[in-house]
Amino acid sequence: METIKNTFDFSDFPRIDLMVAGGVLIFLLAFPLLSHSSFAMSTMIQFLMFSLYGMGWNTIGGYGGQVDLGKAQYVGIGAYTTAVMLIRWDIPFWVSMPIGVCLAVGWSFIIGYPLFRLKGHYFAIATIATSLVLKDLFEAWNFVGAARGLEISPIKYHPPDFLRLIFKEDIYYFYILLGFFLIGILYINWFRKSRLGFQLRCIKDNEDVGRSLGINVHLAKVKTYAIATAFVSVVGSFHACYIKNIEPEDTMSLTISIMIALMAMLGGAGSLWGPIIGAAVLIPLKSYLKEWLGATAGLVGIDIIIYALIIMLVSAGEPKGIWGIVEKARRRKRK
Amino acid sequence: MDILLSSIVAGLLLGMVLAIVALGLTIIFGVMDIVNFAHGEFLMIGMYTGLLTAQATGIDPLLTLPFAALVGFLLGVLCYYGFVKFLLRGPMIAQLLGTFGLMLLLRNLALLIFGSEDRALHHGILVGRSFDLGMGVILPATKLAAAAFSVVAFWGVWMLMHRTKIGKALRATALSAQAARYMGIPTERMNALAWGIGCGTVCIAGALIVNFWSVSPFIGLLFTMIAFAIVALGGFGSVPGAFFAGLVVGLITEIPGFWDFFTYTFNVDWMANVPMTSFKYMWVYLAYFLIMVIRPRGLFGWKQ
Repeated sequence: METIKNTFDFSDFPRIDLMVAGGVLIFLLAFPLLSHSSFAMSTMIQFLMFSLYGMGWNTIGGYGGQVDLGKAQYVGIGAYTTAVMLIRWDIPFWVSMPIGVCLAVGWSFIIGYPLFRLKGHYFAIATIATSLVLKDLFEAWNFVGAARGLEISPIKYHPPDFLRLIFKEDIYYFYILLGFFLIGILYINWFRKSRLGFQLRCIKDNEDVGRSLGINVHLAKVKTYAIATAFVSVVGSFHACYIKNIEPEDTMSLTISIMIALMAMLGGAGSLWGPIIGAAVLIPLKSYLKEWLGATAGLVGIDIIIYALIIMLVSAGEPKGIWGIVEKARRRKRK
Repeated sequence: MDILLSSIVAGLLLGMVLAIVALGLTIIFGVMDIVNFAHGEFLMIGMYTGLLTAQATGIDPLLTLPFAALVGFLLGVLCYYGFVKFLLRGPMIAQLLGTFGLMLLLRNLALLIFGSEDRALHHGILVGRSFDLGMGVILPATKLAAAAFSVVAFWGVWMLMHRTKIGKALRATALSAQAARYMGIPTERMNALAWGIGCGTVCIAGALIVNFWSVSPFIGLLFTMIAFAIVALGGFGSVPGAFFAGLVVGLITEIPGFWDFFTYTFNVDWMANVPMTSFKYMWVYLAYFLIMVIRPRGLFGWKQ
């Protein structure tokens, strides 16, 4: 009972936050009914995917303060599990997704257990190493298509196929992902008020104090890492069905790992809305800059230059992210 | 036997070259505890500097080294005062992502200016020459020169760090920036100097590597990761450690050669079927992971 109450209880936020969140929710629900281009639709799906990735990263990186730059390996595990199972044995998404989550979480225990003895920089760059090893293995492993990757051909199935998640129109993908998105928000809302959430915030502030209060620091970190992994792996499975063509390079590369961390940091790590704000700013910015400057003006790379300048400005000027600016303004108002 | 010997020699030569790539990263990390994702991009800039100066002026690529070092030094100091200084105030995550932003910026600026095609150097006294030592060991002159310069650069940096007053100030800043400030050391300027030296050495490395490796704007990340592995293996902030770890990593990249040697010597069928060359860099990353887990401060590390 307490759990259910905590899950749906947003009352510790100011009313204005909830009104904005409600407005955004209504917009998201109504978005496919408004007139939109297919480009806007795919940008919206990207936005939902990356805000889910960011939410997952936020549990360990934001609340726990453990900078993890290897999340892409779990995107890869989720995506490859779903794709391999669908192509080879025709197993539907709703079965392969939980299996993918189990595999990813199992792998996260294997590497998380030794890795969480490290702190700070050492942890961050060790997670990069594991991700690179896995990517190189997948690039040479013929069973999963090596460097060419796997392709799910939609011709074999009869869209709309709700079991295998093969659709012709993006609108189905959008609503399914929106469902995951809402479940994700509710879960994080529960998580931040749970025992583990409080333990993590204590660990972030001071690990030794946490240990002296009787928190099993190592176990708490490994558990949260598994939670973050599960989030990322679910979206990875979805990615396989949505993109239908997965390669090690665009599911498991370092760039993806860092993008995931970027969403949460730019929006504001360690807050419920942070990753969503980050993804809402960065993803449309990235795809529209590419569309306007990269494609029409013919200047290759200028979109990423502007994008990189924004990343540099935020990380040098306001490392707490957009949510940090909002909170600072609020504190000033209160005074 | 020939394969084994030539693999070892090739590995050691490449290792010395990779060590000088990692030298700058270990200096920067040692002095101010910042992980620089843009390191490979500075190498790329050094490569383009060497290539374009050599092509524009027609002088030998080796003579472009001082110019590349100057460009690297100025760029490093500029990066420090313009950007990294502000990063140091923030949390660690902001530092990591900030240097990642710098990497994206430099890479795409290069893409915008130079285009995406591979470019290689075709002239110079060393290009295309090699010494045959017999026993299947062939030393390409370009790599030999690069390895020799690497040894010189390491000796120079070690002397700078341990035999001069500036080096002492740098090491003091590395141990404790606050205490160094109390002693009257201008830590801000020391940090800038570390960035200057770090980027200068990596640009020298770039100007040497361009003699035998074609350059494109995307080359940076591979070298960044290898440099991370070397720095982790040798110990963060340790100059001699970086050299020995470079040799080790050079040998690790030659694992496919050793594999071939064992395949032929023992005549094992299943070994011949393993596509070893596609795992070339995986062993490097694996060594990097293992050293992080077993001994996080590296083989020669002195910083906790």
